Amino acid sequence: MSGASVAGVTDATAAGLMPATAAGPILAVESANVVLGHGWRRAKVLSDVDLVLWPGEIVGLVGETGSGKTTLARAIVGLAGLASGRVLVDGQQVSGLRGRALRAQRRRGLVQLVFQDPLRSLDPDLKVADIVAEGLRIRGGLDAGAIARRVRQTLSEVGLDASVLDRTPGQISGGQRQRVSIARALATQPRLLICDEPVSALDASTRNHVLRLLDELRDSLGLTILIISHDLSSLAGIADRVAVMYRGQIVEYGPADQVFTAPLHPYTALLMASAPSVRHDQPYSARQLRQNGPHLVPAADGCVFADRCAFAAAACAARPPLEQVADGHDVACHRHEEWPRLARDGAGPDHARPDRPPARSR
Amino acid sequence: MMTDSPSSLPDYAPRNGFGDDSSDRLLSIENLRVTVHHGAATAVRGASLDVAPGEIVGLVGESGSGKTLTCRAALGVLPPGCAVQSGTIAFAGRDLTRLSRRQWEQVHGAYIGAVFQDPASYLNPNLTVGSQLAEVLRIRRRLNRRAAHARAVELFTAVGLRQPERVFHQIPAELSGGMLQRAMIATAICCDPRLVIADEATTALDVTIQAEVIELLRQLRRERDLAVLFVSHDLAVVSELCDRIAVFYAGEIVETGRTEEIIERPRHPYTQALMRVATVGDYRRRELQVIAGQPPGVGAEITGCRFAARCPDAIAACGAGPVGPVSVGLGHDARCLRVNEVAGNGMAGVTGASAVAGELAVR
Repeated sequence: MSGASVAGVTDATAAGLMPATAAGPILAVESANVVLGHGWRRAKVLSDVDLVLWPGEIVGLVGETGSGKTTLARAIVGLAGLASGRVLVDGQQVSGLRGRALRAQRRRGLVQLVFQDPLRSLDPDLKVADIVAEGLRIRGGLDAGAIARRVRQTLSEVGLDASVLDRTPGQISGGQRQRVSIARALATQPRLLICDEPVSALDASTRNHVLRLLDELRDSLGLTILIISHDLSSLAGIADRVAVMYRGQIVEYGPADQVFTAPLHPYTALLMASAPSVRHDQPYSARQLRQNGPHLVPAADGCVFADRCAFAAAACAARPPLEQVADGHDVACHRHEEWPRLARDGAGPDHARPDRPPARSR
Repeated sequence: MMTDSPSSLPDYAPRNGFGDDSSDRLLSIENLRVTVHHGAATAVRGASLDVAPGEIVGLVGESGSGKTLTCRAALGVLPPGCAVQSGTIAFAGRDLTRLSRRQWEQVHGAYIGAVFQDPASYLNPNLTVGSQLAEVLRIRRRLNRRAAHARAVELFTAVGLRQPERVFHQIPAELSGGMLQRAMIATAICCDPRLVIADEATTALDVTIQAEVIELLRQLRRERDLAVLFVSHDLAVVSELCDRIAVFYAGEIVETGRTEEIIERPRHPYTQALMRVATVGDYRRRELQVIAGQPPGVGAEITGCRFAARCPDAIAACGAGPVGPVSVGLGHDARCLRVNEVAGNGMAGVTGASAVAGELAVR
C-alpha cells in the first residue's frame, strides 16, 4: 500500500468520521415492522423481525421473491420507514432519525448498500472515478487530492486497476461493474455492508470471484456483511450464519452449515430440496415437503408457512415464536421436532406416489 | 394476422407428413454459423446439435457464448442485425433457415413452441391471461369462443395451475411469476408442438418454483412425448432436467454428451472448470473456485482452441490450428486436442477437491 493512500485513511480518521470499535453487535434490528402502501394496498411487509449481526461476520439472507429481504435491507439503511421497532447500528439508534441528525447519520456512511443490478443502479453518464468519489464528496472533509487517492485505494481493494477510472458503467464488463458498485459502497469506509443480490446477474465464475472478494474484504477491512442471495450453495461457501425469511418473518436463523445441511424449518428444507444441484443427496425430495392439497387461507395471526406446509397441525393457527432450539440456531416452527420424522416416514401427502405431478388444480 | 391453419398451406403436407417423420432426429442443427452486428462478427461458429423426439437437450454456457443465438436461430427470431450465415437447421427433415416469414408463422406454435425468461413481458398486461391463450386457440385451432375457453381451462389444468377457471379471468399482474410461467408454457403447448424451446425459462423464478417448473417440463415430456431444447447458464439446473447437454464456449460447442457423462466424466477442460464453479450442491464453508481469465470477446478471431488462453493444460499445439470435436465415447464429443491426456475431473474430482478445500477453509 502506498504512502499516499494511507494518508487518505488518516485524513478520514482525523476528521472524526471513523467510528470507534465497539464490542457489541454491529447491527441490531429489534421487532421491526414495515407497512407499505395505503388503503386497500396496505400490506405488512416485515412483521416483528429481529436480527443481530456481530462484527466481522458474513450473514446470508435467503427467501423467495416478496418475502421482505430487500425491504429489510432498505429498512436497515433507512430507505424504508419502520411502523414500529428500531434499528441500531454500533449501539446507536438509526431508525426514526429526522432532519439534521438523519443527514449527519447518512453522511457518516457507516452502513452502505450494494444494489442488485449495477447497470441500473450506477449512473450511466458518470465515470467510475466520479461514481466512487460521490459519497466522499457529499460527506465532505477531504480535499480533491485525498478523494482521488481514496478512490484509487478503494478500487485496488476490489481488484480493479486505474484503467477503469475514466470509463462509464456501460464500457466495462458485468463483473467489473459489480466491483465498482462495491467500491462505491466501500469508499466511505463503512462498518456494515449490505449486498442485495450482488451476484444474481453474473456467470458462475464471475459470481464466485465477487463472493470471494467480499470474503477477503471482510478479513482485510474488518467488515460485517449482510448478503441477500438466492444461490444457496455459493452463499454457503462464505457465510457464517444464514437467516431464512418467509412472508415478512425470519423463520430460521443459525450457523450456515447447520441451516443448510440440517434445516429445522420445513420451508428451509423445501428450499434446500428444490435447489438445483448436480448431486442428488438431499435428505428429502421436494415432493415430500410440498403441501399438495388445496391452498388453505393462512390464519391472520398463525404460522406464515402453514398454508404451504405439509406438516401443519392445529397448533399452527397460532404464530410460532422464533426460539433457540439448538446452539445458536433459532427456528419459528411448532413442529420442528416432529416434521423430520414425518417426512422420513412418508407422512408427507405425496410420498407414496412419487410419479404424481408437482402441483395440480382441483 | 395469420388465419390459415397449417395444413392449408400448399408448402406443407398435413401435420403427420411434415418432413420425414420416421427420423430419429426431430431438430437437427448442422454447422450453424450466426453473425451479429450486421455481419461484422461471427458469434456462433459451426454449432451442430440434434434433438430426438421426446428428448430434453440442454444448452449451457456463459453469457455471450452463443447458446441463446443458436436457439433463437432455430426459432427464426434472431435479434436485428443477426443472421444465419451458413449451416442448416432441419426440423423433422425440413430446413428452417430458408423459410419465409409467413412460413415461419406456420411453424411457430404448431411445431415449435417457445418459453422465455420473463413471462410478464410476453403477455398484454391489460387482458386476462385466459383470453390471450383463447385468442391463440381461436386463430390457430379455429375453435369458437366457448370451445377455446374450455380448451384454455384444460391447458391451464394440464400445466398445474390451481383454480384454472379463476386464472382464466385474471390479468397478468394478479398472478405470481411461477403462475405466469405456467400460463406461458400452456400457450407454448396449446397447438401440440413437438418441440418446445425454453430460453432461461426458469432463471427468474424462485428455487421452489423453479423446481416445480422443471417437474412440469418432465411431466409434459412424459405425457406428450414433447422434446425440449432447454437453454440455461446454470449447469445444475440443466443437469436436473436434461437427457443430454451441449456446453457452449465462445461460440462453439466444446463438449456434448449424455448428462451423466458430462457431469461424472467431463472431458473438456472448460466443462471441468464449469463443474468446479457451478453450484455443485456443496453446503460447506469452502474456497469458491473461479476460472482464471476472461472469455474472448463475441466473434473474436482466434487461431486454434478458443479456450486455450484460460486452459491450465494448454500446450503450444492448442493455439496452432482449429480444433475439431473428438469422440470420447458413445455420443460424447469434446473439442480438445489433449482429451486423452487431460485428467478426468468430474463429480468425483470436484467433490474430492472441494472436500479438501472445505476443510482448509473451515474457520
